[in-house]
Amino acid sequence: MFFLCETGVTLLPHLLNGLTLGLLFALIALGFMLIVGLMEQINLAHGSLFALGAYLAFVLIGARLPLPPDWQLAWLSLPLGWRYAAALVFAPLLTALAGMLLEICVRRTYGKDPLYGLLLTFGAAMVIEELIRLVWGTRDYVLPVPQGISGGMIFWDLIWSTYRFYAAGFALGAIALVWLFIERTPYGAIIKAGAHDSEIVRALGINLARLRLFVFAFGTLLAAVAGIIVAPIWGIRPHMGVDAVVPAFLIIVLGGVGSFWGAVSAGILVGLLVGLSGAYASEWSLLSMYLLLIAVVTFRARGLFGKKSLLEA
Amino acid sequence: MEQSGRDAARLVTPAMLAVVLVLASLPLWIDKVGLYPYLGIEILIWALYALSFNLLLGYTGLPSFGHGAYFGIGAYAFGLFQHHVAANLWLCLLAAALAALLAGAAVAAFISHRRGIYYAFMTIAFGQVFWVVAIKAHSLTGGEDGLLRISRLPADFGLVTFDLADNVALFYFVLAIFALALAGLWRLVNSPYGRILQAIRQNETRAAFVGYDVWLYKFSVFALSAGISGLAGGLFAMAQSSAFPDVMSLHYSGYVVMMTLVGGGLVSFWGPVIGAALFLLARDVIGAVTTGWMLWFGLLFMAVVLFKPEGIAGWWQDWSRTRVGNGERGLARLRAILGRRP
Repeated sequence: MFFLCETGVTLLPHLLNGLTLGLLFALIALGFMLIVGLMEQINLAHGSLFALGAYLAFVLIGARLPLPPDWQLAWLSLPLGWRYAAALVFAPLLTALAGMLLEICVRRTYGKDPLYGLLLTFGAAMVIEELIRLVWGTRDYVLPVPQGISGGMIFWDLIWSTYRFYAAGFALGAIALVWLFIERTPYGAIIKAGAHDSEIVRALGINLARLRLFVFAFGTLLAAVAGIIVAPIWGIRPHMGVDAVVPAFLIIVLGGVGSFWGAVSAGILVGLLVGLSGAYASEWSLLSMYLLLIAVVTFRARGLFGKKSLLEA
Repeated sequence: MEQSGRDAARLVTPAMLAVVLVLASLPLWIDKVGLYPYLGIEILIWALYALSFNLLLGYTGLPSFGHGAYFGIGAYAFGLFQHHVAANLWLCLLAAALAALLAGAAVAAFISHRRGIYYAFMTIAFGQVFWVVAIKAHSLTGGEDGLLRISRLPADFGLVTFDLADNVALFYFVLAIFALALAGLWRLVNSPYGRILQAIRQNETRAAFVGYDVWLYKFSVFALSAGISGLAGGLFAMAQSSAFPDVMSLHYSGYVVMMTLVGGGLVSFWGPVIGAALFLLARDVIGAVTTGWMLWFGLLFMAVVLFKPEGIAGWWQDWSRTRVGNGERGLARLRAILGRRP
């Protein structure tokens, strides 16, 4: 009994850690899932846009704005919390503009083999990552966060990072909001209908091209939000894009294309697995998610909750 | 991939001979144009790697986006076999190809019943697995520091032995292997086996209905492609005198996709060779001017995917086709003029 208690206590931090990580993974996959599920388009530039969001937020919070010096001083004299909140709004909006530009390119591949969209967004990922390297160099940056959500707290004789809880709570909120938007608003209904039968939606007089542009922009906006939330934990560096897009893709395949809760539960599952395996073999914890994917997809071809889609053709 | 009838039946085609002869003259002039013989070695190795990759993408229509893994496995196998088993060039190269072939066969056994994006992602996932192992297995691979002190073994032909330490000597050795691989791959893609691969690319379901065991073809071509990539990787380890995990990363796996597509692998046997040469030349030439050369190559790649997925080889084919058309029109006019004469 004592032994059980002991393992329970040592395991608990890893479980909690895994859960928060899982929510972050689900947040990272959210925008990717939206674009895959509603447009049947794999956006391999998702990770690079995620990174771009983090870099833009860093620029907005810091002193590197292309503004006259006294404006800059006035901006910097504002409390960090305000600047952080502003960055959390404006950096994703700017990234969404880049996403719109990408959609205008991707548009030409609709109706063709989905491989072309995949290749095109892969090229875009390379281009964006290279732009990031050219503008900001290869060094790491740290995204400053307001006092209220940084630091640690002591609980059960253990030190917990406050930021991780804030990030997990934020992820939970974002997931709920996106779900409400898709399931409970007329716009969500149009988007879902567009994914289900685009011909009929067009016949009903809805501008399908604009709808797709909007969905793509929304997906990239979510990528950037995820980037800003994850940045204080991972650090801002050019490679963060690849570190995000592969798990996002993995979570979608694991959860099943076209399933909202499939993606969220797969994200949490992957987080728990990485957290727990990190407790026993930290070197190899990255491997565990790939092994899980291979194990699941070998037996369930469409992932946990997947439906049939164009992407299999 | 329309090959004219006569060339398809040949083992060595005029185009192949011309390419190999031009490449053979490369050490004579490459210094004069401001480049260096080592670049020639790199182009040959990457061209071989891209040719093997194109067996999957171009011929069978299989998107393998984690192919760097097999190139890397070949490189590590070459080094490890040399360090721990036997320092014989032929055995080391055989070990490189076999190790990659076995790894490829193991992966193919898991994925050959999949299609489309799922296939693509499973190859990425397996590629990442091998990459993580290469980074984390310090005791075996040296981790991020790489596997060092791989020597350029002499090529022993029984009667004569060539020392390959010099770049020009190694270049000719790699060229010989490249030429053999060209002939072998050309024969393969124009054999009944190669035709069935192309049938699978055009319509997998129909190929299965005709009675071909699609799974077996997808499995075997993946293993074969991985094996040849491994051979290229072994040569790369020898050229670099070391093996590093970064060739197994998603980026490097993407580079081979980019070069194959830009060169025109979807429509031509030669596409991957053109693409590999262009990619490495762009790296050196644009890279000399700006550090962001990948930006420009990435934009070129995007433009190719958007406007001309048939790549450079596709441009060439279009151009030569219209030229032939013009020629025929001219002949017809000439005949008409001649015919009017009494």
